Amino acid sequence: MEHDLKYLTMALIAAATITSCKKDEGPVIPASPVNEEELITTIILSFDGQAGAFDKELRFTDADGDCGGAPVYHLDTLQATSTYNASIILLNGTASPVDTISNEVLAEGVDHQFFFQLTGANITFAYADVDANGDPIGLGSTTTTGAASTGTLKVTLRHQPDKNASGVSSGDITNAGGETDIEVTFPIVVE
Amino acid sequence: MGQEEDCTAVLSGRVLDDHDKEGLSYAGVSIPAIGRSVQADAEGVFRMEELCNGRHVIIVSHLGCAPVERTVEIDGNTRVDFRLEHHAEQLRELEVSRRRPDENVGQAHEELDKSAMERNAGKTFAEMLATIPGVNMLRSGPTISKPVIHGLSGNRVLILNQGIRQEDQQWGTEHAPNLDPFSSDRITVVKGAASVQYGSDALGGVVITEPVELPREGGISGELRGVGVLNGRGGGGTGSLQGGVKGLHGLGWRLQGSGRFLGDSNAPDYVLSNTGVREAGASTSVGYRDHRWNASAYYSWFTRELGILRASHIGNLTDLNNAIESGTPWYAADFTYNIAAPRQDVEHHLLKAEAGYAISDRDRVVLTYGYQADDRQEFDIRRSGRSGTPAIDLFLTTHTADAVLKHWIGEHIHGKVGVSGVYQENINVPGTGIRPLIPNYRKQSGGIFLLEHLPLSPKVEMEAGARVEATQLDVAKYTFGNELITPRHDFANSAITLGANWSVKDSLRLRFNIGTAYRPPHVSELYSEGLHHGAAAIETGDATLKSERAVKVTADLEAVWLKGKLSTDITLYADRIDDFIYLRPDGVELTIRGAFPVFQYVATDAFLYGIDATLQYRLSPKWSIRSRTSLVRGRDLTRIEWLFQMPSDRTENALLFALPHIGKWSSVDISAASQVVFAQLRVSAGLDFVEPPETYHLLGLSASATRTLGKGELRIGLQTNNILNIAYRDYMDRFRYYADARGTDLTLWVCYSFGRR
Repeated sequence: MEHDLKYLTMALIAAATITSCKKDEGPVIPASPVNEEELITTIILSFDGQAGAFDKELRFTDADGDCGGAPVYHLDTLQATSTYNASIILLNGTASPVDTISNEVLAEGVDHQFFFQLTGANITFAYADVDANGDPIGLGSTTTTGAASTGTLKVTLRHQPDKNASGVSSGDITNAGGETDIEVTFPIVVE
Repeated sequence: MGQEEDCTAVLSGRVLDDHDKEGLSYAGVSIPAIGRSVQADAEGVFRMEELCNGRHVIIVSHLGCAPVERTVEIDGNTRVDFRLEHHAEQLRELEVSRRRPDENVGQAHEELDKSAMERNAGKTFAEMLATIPGVNMLRSGPTISKPVIHGLSGNRVLILNQGIRQEDQQWGTEHAPNLDPFSSDRITVVKGAASVQYGSDALGGVVITEPVELPREGGISGELRGVGVLNGRGGGGTGSLQGGVKGLHGLGWRLQGSGRFLGDSNAPDYVLSNTGVREAGASTSVGYRDHRWNASAYYSWFTRELGILRASHIGNLTDLNNAIESGTPWYAADFTYNIAAPRQDVEHHLLKAEAGYAISDRDRVVLTYGYQADDRQEFDIRRSGRSGTPAIDLFLTTHTADAVLKHWIGEHIHGKVGVSGVYQENINVPGTGIRPLIPNYRKQSGGIFLLEHLPLSPKVEMEAGARVEATQLDVAKYTFGNELITPRHDFANSAITLGANWSVKDSLRLRFNIGTAYRPPHVSELYSEGLHHGAAAIETGDATLKSERAVKVTADLEAVWLKGKLSTDITLYADRIDDFIYLRPDGVELTIRGAFPVFQYVATDAFLYGIDATLQYRLSPKWSIRSRTSLVRGRDLTRIEWLFQMPSDRTENALLFALPHIGKWSSVDISAASQVVFAQLRVSAGLDFVEPPETYHLLGLSASATRTLGKGELRIGLQTNNILNIAYRDYMDRFRYYADARGTDLTLWVCYSFGRR
C-alpha cells in the first residue's frame, strides 16, 4: 500500500508539472485584417453611344465579396438599332483607394478572355481589342443593338482559356476551358 | 481437462528474428526423440499437435543457420516463441522469450511490417495503409491521399508518429499526412475507438508508426532501398545506418533519410497534368538504455511539394458542370516533371525526447515531450504574378507532454496511469492577400487516464480504462466587416474502454472491445466562412457545435482451421457517433463568379457498422489463396438517410505462390491479385454533384525474392497495378469529377541490408 501511495504521489507531481507548463493567458495573436488584393467586387459594362445614342451602363456590385450581403445591380436600357463602344471595368471596392482590376486583366491579356452570351435580346458583341498574340480579350468591344427586345446577357471572364481552341477567338465559350473569374447575368432591355 | 496423460498437448508459437522481430519463414521445428517435425509458415508461425506433457528437446533450424537445440517443458497447450539471432552465416544464440506485451488487448488491430512496407515502397503513406482490410483512402487526385478507417478520416483518425500525436492540419480533405513512412519500420492500425489510450480524435481508429528499436551494442548495420516507378517516371530511395558504441553497452544511434520524385501521372487516355511530387525526409535518433534508465531523443524532418491536377482547378459551378459533362479533363499537356500552381508546399518537423526510470523491478515512469512545427503553403493560380504568393500560408506549432507510470498491482494486474497535455498555436502567416480560410487559434488541453490489464485466467485477459480531458480553444478572427472577435470555447470530455482477449484455444482467439472516443470540433468546423475553391462551394462554420462523441464496439476473431490450412481474421464493428459534424447543402449564394451552393457545417447522429474479413487457405505448401473483403455502412440517424462519402464495398482475391528457396534465392513470393470495388449505391439525394462512379475491377501482380550478397542480404521485388490499364474513377476520390484515376503502374524495388546489430 505504501508503494501505491508513492506512485500516486509521483503521478500527481507529474500532473502538476505538466499542467504548470500551460502558457500564460495572453490573447491569441490575430491575423491582421486582410486586404483582399484579388477580389473583384464590381463589374461595369459601360456603353459609349455612337452617332447620337446616349451613354449607358450595366453594373453589378457585391461590395463584401463572396459571402455576406447580396449583390446589387444597376441596369440601364439600351437604345434599339444603335452602336456602342462597350468597355468593361473591374473594381476591387474593398481596397483603398479602389483598385482597378481590369488593368491586371489587360496586362495579362493572353491569359484572359471575356465572353458574351445572349438570350432573347437583339444585341451583338464584336471584340474590339487584342492581346499580345493578336487574340481577343474583350475589355473593349463594339456592341450593336437591333429591334426592341428583352432577354439576358451573361458576361463570363475566363482565366487561362485556350484561345486557340475551335471557336474561342470568335467568342464561343464552349471549348475555352480555363477557370471562371466572373460570371454575371444581366437582364437586358432594348427599346 | 484430464489431459495430463492423454498426449493431447499442442506446442505452438513463432520463430522470430531477434533484431527486427520478424517471423522467420519456414523455420524447421522438430523433436527428434519422438520423430516429429513441422515447418513454420511464411510468418514463422508453427504448431505441433498431440504431444505428451513433459520435457522435450526441441531443435529449431533456419536456412543458413546451424540447428540449435533447446529444452522446453510442455504442460498442456504451450506457447513458446523462439527468437533467433538470424544472420546469413551465423547463429549466435537462441533464446526462449516471452511474447511482446500486447498494447491493445481487446482492440482489433493489424500491422504493416517491414516486408509489407518494402513491397509497397513508392506509394504514399495512405496507399500503404489501404492494403489492410477496413482501411481505405480519401483522395484528391493521384498526389493527395488520406487514410480512412472504418469509414472515418481526417480529424476522426488519429496518427501517432513515433508515439507523438501527429498535428498537421488534418481537417483539410486535401491535406495528406506529412510524415515519411520509412522513418519507422512497423505501422500498427488500431481499428477501434481508443480515446482512453490515445486521447481525442481516435473515433475511427489510430495509425501508429512505431519507433525503430535502437541497437545496444557495437557494430554498424544499415539498409539501402531504391524504387523505380513507371507511372510518373520517377522513383525514390531510402537509406539508414544504425549502430551502438563499443564499450558503452546500451547506447545506440540511427540515421535515416529518404526521398521520392515523380512527374505527371498517366490515366489510360491522357496525362494527369500537374500531378508531380517531390518528397524528402530525414530522421535521427539516439538512445540509451540500461536496466533502470532509458533516455532517447528523436528528430525528423519531412518536406513535400506536390502538384494538384490542373484540370481540377475551377472557378465556379459552371466550370464544375462543364467538367462533369465533358467527361475528360479540359487541360492535359505533355508529360512533365514540372510542378506549377495549383500546388502545395509543406514542411514538418518533429522533435521528441523521452526518459524513463524503473522505480522498482516492475514499475516504470516514462516522460515524453514532443514538439512539432508544420508549415503549409498552398499556391493557387492567380493574376498578376501572384501565383508565386501562397494563397494559404499556415504555421502550426504543437507541444505535447506526457507522463506515464507503468505499474503492477499485485501479481496479475498491470497497466498504466498517466497525464498528458497539448499546447497548440495556429498562425496565418500574413501576406497572402486572401482572407484566411481558418482563423488564428490557440488550443490547450490536458487529460488524465488509467488503463489496467487484468488476466482472469491464462486464456482470458481483460482491459479496462478511463480518461478525462479538458480542452480550451481561443480564436482570433476578423469578420466580414473586419471586426475582430476573440471567442473562447471550452470542451470537457471523457472516455472509457472495456476489452477482453480470449484465447479460446490455441487456434482461436477472440478480441472484444467497447470503447468511447471524443473529438472537440475543429476551428474549421466552427469558423469557416468563404469559398472553397476546389469544391466550388461556400462553406460556413457553426460556432455552436459541440464535441463529437462515439461509442464503438468491435469484435475480432482470429482462427486457424483444418490443421493450419485455413486461417481467418474477421472484424465486426458498430460505431455510434453523437453530434457527428458534416457539411450539408444549404441553399445557393450569388456572387460575381456566379451562383455557388452553400454548405453549412451541421451536426447529426451517425451510425456506422461493417465487417472486415481476411481468409487464407493453403492449397499446398507452395500455393495459397487469400481473400480480403471490407464492407462499411453509414447512416444519418436524424435524417434517416445514408452518410456522404462512405467507402463502397470492396474485395481483393489473390493467388499466392511461395518457394522457400530456389538456387541462391530464398523467400520467393509471387502473387496475382484481383480487386473489385463496387459502385456506391448507398447515397442520399442532394449531397453530391454527380452519381457515384461505376464498379471497377483491377488486376495486380507482385513478386519478390531474397538472397545473400557479400555480407548482406539483397531483396528485390516487382509490383504492377492496374495491369489492364482500365479507365476508372473511385467514389472516394474527390477529383472523380474531373479525371480518371491512374492507369497501369509498374514498380521495381531493391533493398540491401548489411552489417549486424
